[in-house]
Amino acid sequence: MHWAKNLVDSLSHRFGRSPVAGPLATFVVVLLLCLLFVPNFGSWRTISGIVTAVSISGFVTIGITFLMVAGEFDLSIGAMIAMSGYLFGAVAVGADSQITRGLGAAGLPVAEGSGNLALALILALTVPALMGLVNGLILVWTRIPSFIVTLGTRQIYRGLVWLTSGGVLLQTLGKPPIFNVFNGRFELLNNLPLFEGANFRTATVWLLAAAFLGQYLLVHTRIGNHVFAVGGNVGAATAQGIRTSRTKVLCFVFSGLMAGAAGVISFSQFRSVRVAEQAGVELTAIAASVVGGALLNGGYGSVWGALVGILMISLLRSAVILLDIPFIPADNFPAVIGATIIASVILNNYLRSRASG
Amino acid sequence: MAEGNSQPVVVEMRQIERRFGSVVALRGVDFTVRKGEVRALMGDNGAGKSTLIKVLTGVHTPTRGRIVFDGQQVVINSPADARALGIETVYQDLALVPLMSIWRNFFLGRELHKQVGPVRWLRKKEMSEQCRKSLHDIGIEIRSAEDKVGTLSGGERQSIAIGRAIHFGAKLLILDEPTSALSVAETQKVLTYIENAKDKGLPVIFITHNVNHIYQVSDSYTIIRQGEKVGTYQKGDLSQQDIADLITGAREK
Repeated sequence: MHWAKNLVDSLSHRFGRSPVAGPLATFVVVLLLCLLFVPNFGSWRTISGIVTAVSISGFVTIGITFLMVAGEFDLSIGAMIAMSGYLFGAVAVGADSQITRGLGAAGLPVAEGSGNLALALILALTVPALMGLVNGLILVWTRIPSFIVTLGTRQIYRGLVWLTSGGVLLQTLGKPPIFNVFNGRFELLNNLPLFEGANFRTATVWLLAAAFLGQYLLVHTRIGNHVFAVGGNVGAATAQGIRTSRTKVLCFVFSGLMAGAAGVISFSQFRSVRVAEQAGVELTAIAASVVGGALLNGGYGSVWGALVGILMISLLRSAVILLDIPFIPADNFPAVIGATIIASVILNNYLRSRASG
Repeated sequence: MAEGNSQPVVVEMRQIERRFGSVVALRGVDFTVRKGEVRALMGDNGAGKSTLIKVLTGVHTPTRGRIVFDGQQVVINSPADARALGIETVYQDLALVPLMSIWRNFFLGRELHKQVGPVRWLRKKEMSEQCRKSLHDIGIEIRSAEDKVGTLSGGERQSIAIGRAIHFGAKLLILDEPTSALSVAETQKVLTYIENAKDKGLPVIFITHNVNHIYQVSDSYTIIRQGEKVGTYQKGDLSQQDIADLITGAREK
């Protein structure tokens, strides 16, 4: 039995070093408890609902995780999603909007009634990335903490969205097939006999792709190594010749890009966007990142952990609704998120100190 | 006062002067280090020893004076310039990132990667193995290069920072108060690695104000007081008490 003990030790050591370990273990335990004790939880309808509910916030969480590992925040992401949604929606279908008219007047190949999908995607991804760039540049030039910088741009960017959109709700009736590719019903999967009653959406595939991209960048590239170093000990990173400002700015750009993707995914599903779109999503994403093992002051975190975190929040929401507890109606759900954040941090700290002790 | 070592000179700083506004931090200091020598640079807080080293590592530029490194007159304007010359510095607090693994720290800023077309990714296994082997070669044993630096003791962290500097081809190793936060046993270990470095011919400058720590490994001492060099002394010229007196100015040279 000696070898078996060695195997368990080696596995737990290996697993324990991974930042996903704690959050994933907790997630599995909570999932099992829900399957056992929550009525109607064990159906594909519920499970697919939990997964689908994170298809927009998931992108934000991946971006925020980069920033948190680098020791920064971005509170202006909700406005970036709104901006992306307007640009994508208006340009892709050539909607009746001042965006379409303005771009057309500027000589770009788009007009009312004649959309331009490529242009829509380029704008929807690059404009939020530029907004992230501006956040990052203000941070490194002024050395004002990112919390304050983005608390400011959070309001400024909403104003920018208001100016861009004319302040009106954008809603389109036309539904180009490409919307189904970005975020439609995933019938291929839902029609399988195994997944009876499931309602998966194609957005989940894009989210997984973004997660793989994020994981690759953060763990398997030089820039990812520098992100951890900048958040973990900025002095040590500087002493090793790392361009710390550039590294931080790149994290803001990546986070903006993820917000742009979230805007595209969101518009593809709802075919509408308003100025106040996704207000407060940043805080949910920060919560998910922390539940997923990230440290608030930087240097530690993981993309997969963050996805586990956002899934955990979504899972608890469904469980609370299904449990139908009299004093926690669905409207009172934020209180449950609050308790989850604190409990997770206590547990993650314990597991991390054990694994590194 | 004689410089007894006949090895070639690695670095020669001549008449270095550094002013900060009207404050004169260094008043024309000469400082020479030869190959295979462990030199202690000593002085009380504010004496100017850190300023002198910061001039050598490119953190400060000298107001006056010149630096000759490896036989060539050089201008060192940034820490990157110093590194390019082979001047590696191990700082007390700024050496490593605790939440990162040993190998990630070891290769930080000098990561190895593979490339296919535009896609690059880190050679993690190779870096992990090279790191373990390189540390082993200078007598530092670690359980696994995957362990986080935060799990190591202060002495082990200093050793890894020193091992990293040696691995990346330092021609001159500068240690800034490397033992001030360590226990006696750990200090002994770190001192062993410094001796190993010296045996490889690597010159070491050891900045400290703790006489006890350097007495055993240093070949010579340079003492600085109030921005001026008091003198350079060979091992055996002075007792520990003499050194302490010269640092504080209780005794003139």
